[in-house]
Amino acid sequence: MYEADRKLVARMLAGEKRAFDEFFNTSAQRLTAFATRRSGLDAASLEDVVQNALIKAIRRLASYRGEAALFTWLSEICRHELADVRRKAARQPVHVSLFEPGTTEVAVTQLLAPEHLEPVAELNTEQRRAAVMRVMGSLPEHYAVALEAKYGDGLAVQDIARLLGLTIVATQSLLARAREAFREQWRESAPGAAHGGLAL
Amino acid sequence: MSDASQPTIPGGAADAPLEDLLVSHLATQPLSPEALERVRGAVAQVWAATSAPVGTAESERSLWHWGRWGALATAAGLVAATIGFFALKPVGEQARVGTVARVSDGGIDIDAGFWRHHTLAVGEALRVGDTLKARGPALVVLSAGGTLRVAGGSRIAIDGASHLALEDGRLYVDKPPGLAEPEPLQIATRVGLVEHLGTEFEIVSDNQVVRIRVREGRVRFSWAAGVIIASAGTELLTTSAGQVTQQPVPTFGREWQWAAALAPNFAVEGRSLDDYLQWVSRELGRPLDYKNAAAREGAQRTILHGSTRSQATLDALADVLSSTSLTYELVGGAIRVHSDR
Repeated sequence: MYEADRKLVARMLAGEKRAFDEFFNTSAQRLTAFATRRSGLDAASLEDVVQNALIKAIRRLASYRGEAALFTWLSEICRHELADVRRKAARQPVHVSLFEPGTTEVAVTQLLAPEHLEPVAELNTEQRRAAVMRVMGSLPEHYAVALEAKYGDGLAVQDIARLLGLTIVATQSLLARAREAFREQWRESAPGAAHGGLAL
Repeated sequence: MSDASQPTIPGGAADAPLEDLLVSHLATQPLSPEALERVRGAVAQVWAATSAPVGTAESERSLWHWGRWGALATAAGLVAATIGFFALKPVGEQARVGTVARVSDGGIDIDAGFWRHHTLAVGEALRVGDTLKARGPALVVLSAGGTLRVAGGSRIAIDGASHLALEDGRLYVDKPPGLAEPEPLQIATRVGLVEHLGTEFEIVSDNQVVRIRVREGRVRFSWAAGVIIASAGTELLTTSAGQVTQQPVPTFGREWQWAAALAPNFAVEGRSLDDYLQWVSRELGRPLDYKNAAAREGAQRTILHGSTRSQATLDALADVLSSTSLTYELVGGAIRVHSDR
């Protein structure tokens, strides 16, 4: 049981503003990172996805029983939200995008890119990023969440432990197993060039 | 990424390339502070509407800390008695009337009794018994539905769940049609009582006059000498001597711009163009007029994606329609939508 999370939810349901702030401050940016890593959405769409996911979570707050970590529960809602966005995108009758029309122009007028943004370097970086995300997607969810928290969000082990409702030792062990699983998947899924030439 | 404060993670140096890879490819761009505040505001509104209006929130507004004892023992008795007297009515028990959704230029100061002074941030609640002073323009989402837009410098007392007193300043009330409310919102002014009958209206009150402008629906105004029901497009002007004059007023244009600037965000994503046009029509105070059936059908089956945030309503309308096969023109007071480009 995730008692701390369950208590936080109970305080929110009772209308305690401080509990809401704690919930929002610990969840919003992490959920943004979660959605970013699982989609190619632009900033405005990500904002909408995160907002919708949090709103749905708030509406369903009373159904949270503390059987999973609150963030795991939230990320499941966010995952459905992303799936909805993809489904909607696939079946829209007429699409009208209101996203910044100026963004392409800016890219075109950037004549001198820094070296690390040269096309070949960009391609390698993109390939590698895509490969990392593919491998992350193939890992068990708790491995992926732990690796994202540690290396993506920069959380300390004790914070990850609190987040996942584990002891520090169990969290260290989980991270070690997650890294090992990642390494194996990385080696198996596509050696060499397909990963931007990086062997682990 | 290694954490010097942490015990060593098994794997050691062999993990370094892997850790570098994960750090460089799992890092993401956070939401900008502005975006984060927008999300916070929207989520807080829903939370405010769904959570119990009570509780331990009392502690948020508590104004004193019992930090030191001992040497202050003599004074403590007196202080305790004073505090006890003023704090017997806990803030947390007061009903939540609304939630701050947007503030600028300094926010909203709350005065909720002798010891209770507080500056409200986005997402915080307004409660019965509070007196608020808006330092800058602010948008409040009412728990009973609708919004309150408050001009900077306004002072409003919240006397009940549906009873406000505009002591000074300017207020815009938007209660969308079809809203089920236990009792209508009433706003007391120096001269009389304004009661909404399903509408959008503005009240200005200062030392000289009280002015009420009705933009949509009707309001009832009761004062010492009588009662009048004013409908959309009407301005009532009262003087402190108790005289009331009535005259027509446009429901759109420059005079309403301050309220338009405080319009809540319209979540465009996944909504039909028709929904969006209806919203724009209310926000601008201009009736929506489809020139023909094709225009209406086009608007109904066009689904929007993206965002119009941080754009003025009319600019956003132009941008949205420029991406579709529809055009618009302002004819008289109306927004006329055409399908024939």
